[in-house]
Amino acid sequence: MQGPDKNIISDLKDKNKRDLAFHQLVSTYQERLYWHIRKIVMNHEDADDVLQNTFLKVWRSIDNFREESSLFTWLYRIATNESITFINSKKKKNFMQMNDVSEFLMDNLTSDPYFEGNEIQLKLQQAILRLPEKQRIVFNMKYFDDLKYDEMSEILDTSVGALKASYHHAAKKIEDYLKNTD
Amino acid sequence: MEELKNIAPELSKLKKENAFGTPRGYFDDFPARMQMKLEAEKNVADKQEFKIINLLKPALGLAASFAIIFMLVYIPIKTFIPQEQIIQTTVSNDYNDQFHTILEELDENSFFSLLESNDTEENFSDDDLVAYVSSNFSAYEIFEYTDK
Repeated sequence: MQGPDKNIISDLKDKNKRDLAFHQLVSTYQERLYWHIRKIVMNHEDADDVLQNTFLKVWRSIDNFREESSLFTWLYRIATNESITFINSKKKKNFMQMNDVSEFLMDNLTSDPYFEGNEIQLKLQQAILRLPEKQRIVFNMKYFDDLKYDEMSEILDTSVGALKASYHHAAKKIEDYLKNTD
Repeated sequence: MEELKNIAPELSKLKKENAFGTPRGYFDDFPARMQMKLEAEKNVADKQEFKIINLLKPALGLAASFAIIFMLVYIPIKTFIPQEQIIQTTVSNDYNDQFHTILEELDENSFFSLLESNDTEENFSDDDLVAYVSSNFSAYEIFEYTDK
């Protein structure tokens, strides 16, 4: 584990330094986690809620962090799980089927005043939203966040082979959508 | 990237730009908002600690109920029921206890010797017998009996 992360963790576990260390943690990781969450839930308001829940979960479970993985990997895993939990709760609340989830996220995207992409970027997002959930997350982490397969494997608790296959299928489907849709 | 060119040439041509935006100053304000949220979380945690008393409430309520029932039943009995009645009950109980004690103390031999003793037999004269018969039986009954 890198030096600054190690300091943050040891300070987080020290009750006297916890508040300051947590502030430092939020400042350091808020942007990376926000963009990761935003690409899963699509809407700024929802991303903001999920990001806050993610940091609260980090606060509550910092004593359980065994430092077997890096801080960054642990944070990403919590953020991913919180995002999926958020979508599942929406799904349950509105009695949605799988296809309805894509439509719900599409509505979230188009109604979001903070989406600043052009037509091509909107089309790319539409193609991504048509993917199954796991493939969508894998594609976003690889394509946009440039994460290594090893890191993704730790975050998603999936083998590297399975991740490569997921990314391959996702890229193929997106390519087809881009080619065949006006 | 080479891998992507082979799988998805169209996709690989696209610029990787962030299409999403945030409200102005969002990341500047977020740590402060998070701190406020955290303070609220801490208060909730503190209140939850106080809620341990809620766990004890049923047991305390039960104990209080027993105490009230005891006060409502025992004290009025002691205060309002006359002492004589209590003493009578005690006396009758004492008499029964004494009788049982005598029977228990009486051994078998002394019981049979009491039965066989002649203390209860009485000697009476012919005149007494005549007087007893004449007072308890009619002449007809005497005649009927002697005729047999």
